Amino acid sequence: MRKRRWPIIVGFLTPALVLYLMFIVYPFLSSIRYSLYNWNGVGPLVDFIGLKNFTYVLFSHEFAPQFWRAVAHNLYFFVLSMILTSIFGLLLAYLLVAVKERASRWFQVIYFIPMVVPPVVVAYIWSMYLEPNYGAISRALTSLHLNVLNVPFLGSGALALPTIAVITAWAGMGFPILIFIAAMINIPEEMIEAAKVDGASRTKIFFSVIFPFIKPTFLTITTLNFVGAFGAFDYIYIMEGTQAGPNYATDVIGTLFYRTAFGGFGTTAQGVGLATALAFVGFIIVMIASAFLVLLQRRASMDL
Amino acid sequence: MHFKRPVIAYLILALFAVIALYPLIDMLLMSFKDLPGIIAQPFSWPTSWHLENYVNAWGEGNLLSYLINTAIVSVVSVTVITFFSSMAAYVIARFNFKGNQIIYLTFLAGLALPIQMIAVPLFILMKQMYLIDNLLSVILIYSASGLSFSVFLLVNFIRSVPKDLEEAAFIDGAGYLQTYWHVILPLIRPSLSTTALLNFISAWNGFFFPLILLTNPNRMTVAVGVLSFVGQYSTQWNLLLPALVIVMLPTIIVFVFASRQFIRNMTAGAVKM
Repeated sequence: MRKRRWPIIVGFLTPALVLYLMFIVYPFLSSIRYSLYNWNGVGPLVDFIGLKNFTYVLFSHEFAPQFWRAVAHNLYFFVLSMILTSIFGLLLAYLLVAVKERASRWFQVIYFIPMVVPPVVVAYIWSMYLEPNYGAISRALTSLHLNVLNVPFLGSGALALPTIAVITAWAGMGFPILIFIAAMINIPEEMIEAAKVDGASRTKIFFSVIFPFIKPTFLTITTLNFVGAFGAFDYIYIMEGTQAGPNYATDVIGTLFYRTAFGGFGTTAQGVGLATALAFVGFIIVMIASAFLVLLQRRASMDL
Repeated sequence: MHFKRPVIAYLILALFAVIALYPLIDMLLMSFKDLPGIIAQPFSWPTSWHLENYVNAWGEGNLLSYLINTAIVSVVSVTVITFFSSMAAYVIARFNFKGNQIIYLTFLAGLALPIQMIAVPLFILMKQMYLIDNLLSVILIYSASGLSFSVFLLVNFIRSVPKDLEEAAFIDGAGYLQTYWHVILPLIRPSLSTTALLNFISAWNGFFFPLILLTNPNRMTVAVGVLSFVGQYSTQWNLLLPALVIVMLPTIIVFVFASRQFIRNMTAGAVKM
């Protein structure tokens, strides 16, 4: 009766494993190796310099300030996207669970649509709206006599990154909304009814019944937002260029890495060894944060 | 949890629906205006419909080849991910063998890796394989990097369904291969179609790797090709807007058709996170 198991185990795992080992694991390991060399990508790998690329990234006068500024921007971007996801994602999911199912499904489809629009299209529409002279937003503000608010959003050092965070949220909110809904649907109706009988207000019910119940999901979304914020690149590259203007105000690890690896406007130091060291440090930050968040998530789901 | 007076809820939901859709509809409307009309009256309904904008944009750019390239990249990667990840997930979820956990964790680790971080070694590897300016380079990277997420979701999903059906198939004399094809695949279909759609969207919209690997205009995908189009015709909005509409419509149409099933699967826990 027992059938031979090994042919199927080996046969079914091999295609995925080969692909994964070749194009994820092997490049990852070789990036660790490259990071130990002074190498510009051409010729043999001979100039072994140990951890010098890492100390250059983390501590040097020339490069470290750029690196830490980029990390700070990534963190800022993460905080902004968490604020936007927590306020709008949770609010919309909460409302969508409460209204009639047919209507709710339609709204869910609509909220997801911006996610399927290519980033270059999203970036272009919004740059067009935000154009400071004849852009639609600037003209709308002028006609409402709100000239005070009519500022060059993408050209301002203080506002460029928050503006891009809002655009990113506009384009990507559909996904967290659906994940929140999936979690909220499972809340037992009795728990909410019981709280109502006890005279709890809607806000109270949200914070003391609903939120604790979806906390594991909330932490998963936090993890995804963190990985996403540290991978931020597309919109910044398209809207602010390789130099992540204005005056590096939107420079994140992604754009700094791109310049270091592939050159372009605003490059101050370039090299394959240096770029891979920079990328590896970025990876470590993301890995530590994800591990921590997954731990919190495990604990939160055990509390339920 | 239903509201007694849901009007306010509907108003808020409608407001956000407008925020989500207005820019896209506005772009569609503006794409039919002539250049002075776009600049002078960005908010108004077009007074005359300039269909020639589309003809010009289509003739000016390489749009057709961008669309075909992007479709090839997306369809091939999604097919590869769907088959490879479901096969691997079946074995990981249902067979106890030495190394099972290690292999699963190796796939999971990819979830914490922002894929651009290994762009340099991937670029060098693709150069060594003579795949620069070849769609296969991007296909291989998307297929490999999509595996983590799909394996993770499918293993979770397969573990959550009872083994009864598989055991019944076994008693009827089915082998593992038949069990996979006739029992597992139909069983995990909601999860599989959901991950396929998510992978399709990210492959279609992928930007970074086409940017560094596909520099020949005939090999470019939508994401990067349109960027060069934008650079070239930056102020000719009557050319640019139709081009942007053309490249965004295919995915929107695919999504709207797939959306009912997709939304239902997502919220019913086909994607357990």
